[in-house]
Amino acid sequence: MRKKILGLMIILLIGFILTACKNKPTDDQDDLDIIDQTYLLLMEAEDLSGMSQKTKTVITSDGNLNLPTSYKGVTIVYSSRNKDIISDEGIVTQPDTCWIESRDQQGIPKEDFVGLNDNWPVVVDVTLSYEGQTRTAKLLFVVAPAAGFTCNKYLG
Amino acid sequence: MKKIMILILCSLIMLYSIPKSYAQTNIIYAESDYDRLHAVIQHVENVLKYGHEYNEETKLLPDAINTLTGEPAKWTFPNRAQVPYANLANQQNFFRTLVALSNVTGDTKYKDEAVDILSEFMENYQSPNGLFEWGGHRAINLDTLDVQSFEGPNGPHELKNMMPYYELMLEVNEEATLKFMRQLWTAHFYFETTDMNRHGSYSTAYDVNVFGQTIPDDVIQMDQQGNPIIPADSPGLLPFVNSATDLAYAAFTLSDYTFDPIPADWAKYLMRQYNLASNPITGMTVYQFKSTQVTKTPAECAVPSYTNSGCGDRVARQFRDFGPIARESNVAWKNTQAVYVDNILMLLEAADKYGVEHFVDWARDYIEGYLEYAYIRIDGRNKIIPMFIDGTVTYGYIVPEVGYFGPSKMRLDYVDMPTTYLLPILRTILQTKEDEDRIKLWGYFRDIVYTFGLGDIGELGGASPNLDLDTSIDDPFALMAMVELYDYTKNESYLNVARTIGNNIVNEKFHRGFFVQDEIMLYSRLDQPDTLALLTLDAVIRDIPLSNMPFYLADSGYIHGYLLSDDGVVEDRNYSQNIIYTKTIYD
Repeated sequence: MRKKILGLMIILLIGFILTACKNKPTDDQDDLDIIDQTYLLLMEAEDLSGMSQKTKTVITSDGNLNLPTSYKGVTIVYSSRNKDIISDEGIVTQPDTCWIESRDQQGIPKEDFVGLNDNWPVVVDVTLSYEGQTRTAKLLFVVAPAAGFTCNKYLG
Repeated sequence: MKKIMILILCSLIMLYSIPKSYAQTNIIYAESDYDRLHAVIQHVENVLKYGHEYNEETKLLPDAINTLTGEPAKWTFPNRAQVPYANLANQQNFFRTLVALSNVTGDTKYKDEAVDILSEFMENYQSPNGLFEWGGHRAINLDTLDVQSFEGPNGPHELKNMMPYYELMLEVNEEATLKFMRQLWTAHFYFETTDMNRHGSYSTAYDVNVFGQTIPDDVIQMDQQGNPIIPADSPGLLPFVNSATDLAYAAFTLSDYTFDPIPADWAKYLMRQYNLASNPITGMTVYQFKSTQVTKTPAECAVPSYTNSGCGDRVARQFRDFGPIARESNVAWKNTQAVYVDNILMLLEAADKYGVEHFVDWARDYIEGYLEYAYIRIDGRNKIIPMFIDGTVTYGYIVPEVGYFGPSKMRLDYVDMPTTYLLPILRTILQTKEDEDRIKLWGYFRDIVYTFGLGDIGELGGASPNLDLDTSIDDPFALMAMVELYDYTKNESYLNVARTIGNNIVNEKFHRGFFVQDEIMLYSRLDQPDTLALLTLDAVIRDIPLSNMPFYLADSGYIHGYLLSDDGVVEDRNYSQNIIYTKTIYD
């Protein structure tokens, strides 16, 4: 009889341990839910923070793009690929030359091609961080050259 | 009693100790699973029924079937002759589908069909020099059962990312397959000059010792700054990567089958030229590693509308404003499917099956560089910023004059990133060994998957995803990606999303007894990847290892040649994809 009781107790004990182990993923799941929400927040920060507001139009003046540096706790950092035109802080300085001078196949300037490719495309890399998670994004702005710009830089 | 107790305890402990990945899956085969399989079976049965019905003297099938009439797709030549065509290079996914269907149903009749068709083709339509009568410019006329050229009377051999189902071909006719794989190199690769021609001649004599020469120095040498020098001396024989992909795939398969390492060494040599020509800073790679030499006169080349390569590099001509970076090899907004999808899938296949492990590193360098510099989300959609491979942005550029890449005043805009990118990115990640090398690519993959509307695959490894189980996407590449993620993680969320996508594919694309691109599309193409993707899903539900299933590699089949325009008057030179497979049931 004692043996039976002892056996039953051992089974109950192991059953308890296994059940406890099985419950552990639920705790993990809570953590995962937080992580999932973090990712969605990082996505939301790219889509809704307003950072891309001025990517839809040609920027025609010097000044501040007012790029948001935070959104609902998300930290946003920018790194421009052409810092002379857009700084990492989002300050625009219109260039004093055109982007591309276009000429014909013989390298001869043509009236038709004047002004064709004056505006500069500038890519800005974005890093969004929240509670240890980061993701990256990109913005592409188009900046017009400053008044009185020159365009004598044919590369062909 | 004591022994029984101990036995029960041991059993319980063992049951809980078995790692999840090794445990028997308890996936229940549901009614909706059967419905999808049934749709695939109906499609296959209809293709076989109507395809065979047209000309009972042959087992060959047409490339596509008119879903209203059951008639084969026909090519209309400028002389108004309408020719139903069987181009077996464009039917490789159907053969894979047939074998896959036999695998999941256990019924060998489908594979037998594939064997019969290939057997007839390989026996009767192999040129004496070893090339098959297939590819971009040749097919079999299903009326006469003669060889039909679409590019003049003697169209060349051309394969671009078609990656034939060699495993089955070797099973069907070993001698013919081996001869073809060798002749593919003889006809397309010029060993003396290391030039490569996407066009191969059916007159080039068969050379049994094709790989007998010593492998030469690399074509691509570096300048003093460590940048690749792209030779501009190719006599019109441009080494496009989409042709090189097929050459390399054939050579790797040949080496693996014959245990002769030399063909694989040549394949590595060829693929290394693309690697050397890649940009050393960005990692982005090239479509070709040579430019053509100028063979036309200055007067001829003064005309912008002359777009053939006789006037040298066509990007240097049309995009001359950008200076030296403007070369055909350096364009990263066109032909990117060939460079970053088909080529990478082949590199990964070679790494996985044939042990060329450094190809995984190359694949990662290429695709990671591309995504790091060019991938952008615009209005919630996956896009690519047009640029050269050194990162020089070309977005917004207005082309001053007409040229090979388009008309005058064409403006370069963002390029859509299609779902085909999912597989090369995912497979690169899965084949990369170290987690630290996977992190960056996983981040891009996570964003791309999310932006395609599939939900969040979670942190690196994807073990805890938060997927959109009600996704509306009906795409075979998304389906295969979810299946492969399930196979890797054994997390059933991926399987559930895959089932949703599979159901969407059937609902949106299965019409009139066939899989079509869209409900209103007239033709059902044999090379479509949907049925193979659905069978891959069916296999994992049945716990059939993916390694036992035919593998998706490409669906790049096409015919290019002369035809009569829809107006019935003008002669055109165009692709089957643009002219025939765009027709709707209302045309």
